[in-house]
Amino acid sequence: MIRPRHLLICIILFITASSFAQINANKILRAVYVKSQKAKDYSVDVNIKVDMPFIRMMPINAKIYYKQKDKFKVESKSIAIVPREGFDQASKMLADTNSFTAIVQGNELIETIQTTIVNIIPLSDTSDLILGKLWINTQQNSILKSQLTTKSNGTILTEYFYGTQAVYGLPDKMIFSVDVKKFKIPKSVSADINNTDKPDKTKENKKGKIFINLTNYQINKGIPDNIFKK
Amino acid sequence: MMFWKSTYNEFIKIAAKPRSYIGIGAITLILGIILFAMKADGMNFISFVTRPFEQSLSFEGNILNGNLIAFIILQMLIIHIPLLIALVTGDLVSGEAAMGTIRLLLTKPISRTNILLSKYLAGCAYTLIILLWVGFLALVVGKLLFGSGDLLVLNSDGLIVLQEHDLGWRFLSGFIVAYLSLVMIATLSLTLSCFSENSIGPIVTTMAIIILFTIIGALDVPVLQKVQPYLFTSHMVAWRNFFEDPLPTKKIISSIAILFLHIFVLLYIAIYKFNKKDILS
Amino acid sequence: MLETGEKIVEIKHLVKHYGKFHAVEDVSFDVFRGDVFGFLGPNGSGKSTTIRTMLLLIKPTSGELKLFGKDLLKNRNYILQKIGCIVEKPDFYKYLSAEKNIEIFARLSGVNITKKKVHEIIEFVGLKGREKDKLGGFSHGMKQRLGIAQTLVHDPELIILDEPTTGLDPQGIIDIRNLILQLKNERKKTVLLSSHILSEIELIANRMVIINKGKTIVQGSVNELLNAQELIVSIAVDNIEKAKQLIQNIGTDILIDKIENNNLLLHISQEKIPVINKLFCDNNVNVYSIETKRKLEDYFLKLINS
Repeated sequence: MIRPRHLLICIILFITASSFAQINANKILRAVYVKSQKAKDYSVDVNIKVDMPFIRMMPINAKIYYKQKDKFKVESKSIAIVPREGFDQASKMLADTNSFTAIVQGNELIETIQTTIVNIIPLSDTSDLILGKLWINTQQNSILKSQLTTKSNGTILTEYFYGTQAVYGLPDKMIFSVDVKKFKIPKSVSADINNTDKPDKTKENKKGKIFINLTNYQINKGIPDNIFKK
Repeated sequence: MMFWKSTYNEFIKIAAKPRSYIGIGAITLILGIILFAMKADGMNFISFVTRPFEQSLSFEGNILNGNLIAFIILQMLIIHIPLLIALVTGDLVSGEAAMGTIRLLLTKPISRTNILLSKYLAGCAYTLIILLWVGFLALVVGKLLFGSGDLLVLNSDGLIVLQEHDLGWRFLSGFIVAYLSLVMIATLSLTLSCFSENSIGPIVTTMAIIILFTIIGALDVPVLQKVQPYLFTSHMVAWRNFFEDPLPTKKIISSIAILFLHIFVLLYIAIYKFNKKDILS
Repeated sequence: MLETGEKIVEIKHLVKHYGKFHAVEDVSFDVFRGDVFGFLGPNGSGKSTTIRTMLLLIKPTSGELKLFGKDLLKNRNYILQKIGCIVEKPDFYKYLSAEKNIEIFARLSGVNITKKKVHEIIEFVGLKGREKDKLGGFSHGMKQRLGIAQTLVHDPELIILDEPTTGLDPQGIIDIRNLILQLKNERKKTVLLSSHILSEIELIANRMVIINKGKTIVQGSVNELLNAQELIVSIAVDNIEKAKQLIQNIGTDILIDKIENNNLLLHISQEKIPVINKLFCDNNVNVYSIETKRKLEDYFLKLINS
């Protein structure tokens, strides 16, 4: 029989655990954020490969420029398709810890690395972010995976692979996964008059991926602001 | 030798007719307006194309470039250029009948077949000039105004990004096949011209046939679907296949074959009719 | 008169049908080198069809067409190279100048023509100074002259002119007539000239054929056909019965063709006219007028009027 005394103890334990989880989450996120701030600016050569239903393109080379706090530019002779929110969504989000509540959800093994899963819940109703989930390597204070669901961009799952610039929290490789079922091709624009091909219905509910390899980082070398002007 | 002399004569006649310049003038005006509109508001047009993807993705780079402009222009004008071609080629035989000069022309010591073929060749040359002018305005002027870059092509099954270094041969091949489809139109209007004694008939009939076949080709009716692949209008946009990846080689070859078949059959009919015709006008 | 010389044109039993309509039923005639040959017939008789068939603008239904000794159907280009023609009215490219028009057609004539030659021909037909003018501003007479210029520019052996004076004013008709005579006399051309006006043919042709309803009626020398011994003489008298009696009494073979009102129509030779006149005067038959018509002219006029 459950007595009120037992219930009270459970509640107190729960609240304590939650608080502890929250404090722990904030601490983890803070550590990640601090590390990410080491690179005040950088430029990097990228190779972008798009594997997406409804999109066909060859891998292209581009250059990315970043400068704190939020200057970001993709420079390419070719047309480059990149995730809408850029590459640093997770880091941007971590800058304002007052705008969300972070809770440790658990642990997960990614490859051979133990990660802590931190859920991020925005405090404001008007925030674009609906829910965030980060898989963090607490040993290295780096994000191995992020899943961000926003009102404007849907859900984007990002995997990070680190190498030479791990000390700055800058990945050598990223894989973005986006949900493609929202893509609808406007018939009037495609102008395939008399096209007798049938549309491929098998592609309607798939995930699309963007593979980005980052090489030749130039970190904290100074980037003038005019580079970021359009 | 007489054939080339006759062809030279036909060039002179085409070059001297005011209507020959209607096509060139119209194209210059239309393309000028398109280029101006794209310069003024092209990015909005692009966003209409990329909007389905923009919720999750962002397009970086010079999307609104000369290559895209050239592609858009080719796509827009594929209905209009045939009319401007037919305006001249539809008049090649019937115009002479209407003017009465055919009486004198056919009493010269050159076979009727040679006369017709020389008119045909001159008509094809005029078609080439029109297309080259479109190409120049679209590609050269387009690149001067908008720069160069990759080509974003929106098909009914999605978006293709073709890299700039890969576009030269695609545009060349596309233009060649577009030329073939315009030669098809020229052949049709010339053939109709052999059956008429006035200029307007063949021109209007050519356009009516194009419109009718386009409608038949677009109808999703089972009984018509058997016929659709063989309509020449179904292959008027065959040039677009060069902007697919991977290249649908079979489709391209099939389109070229069907267009050539139409051209040969129509030309045969034209030669037959022109030779058999009693000149009563 | 015996027809002598080289036959340039031999048409034998030419037939052209358009379905049930028979435009030409049986036309035959010959044209000799050096002739100015008149091709006569009323409107709708088949002249134009015959000429178009000779030039293969129209395919014959049957018949033999030989020009310059060769079968037309088998030697089209060879034959057409030797012919210059105007079929009905001369039509040119309105948007080109006179000079350019001549050059266009000359280029297809089978011989090399120089600009100098073109200018010479334009001058010959009386259009000097108008070479650069566009045809749109030319009168009918000027176009007719230019038409003749294009027939001559490649120096053909046979010139075919289909009703060349149609639509011209009297001066224009005279000019064309003089041009044709110049072609014959100075340039030694053979000319085939079609018309529905007998007097026009009479003035310049030496031989002719008359067709009607697609058939050859008569062919031969103009002199022989038109200046035949027999004439149709119309004599207006006051006493027709007495006049008729007098003619019957003189016992010659004067044929009374018709009596119309107080006009006697007689078939007589020219020499007998004063004889008849004296006969009437001596017998108190008053003669009010004597009109003569060639038998053939009368026949032709009847054809036209019917």
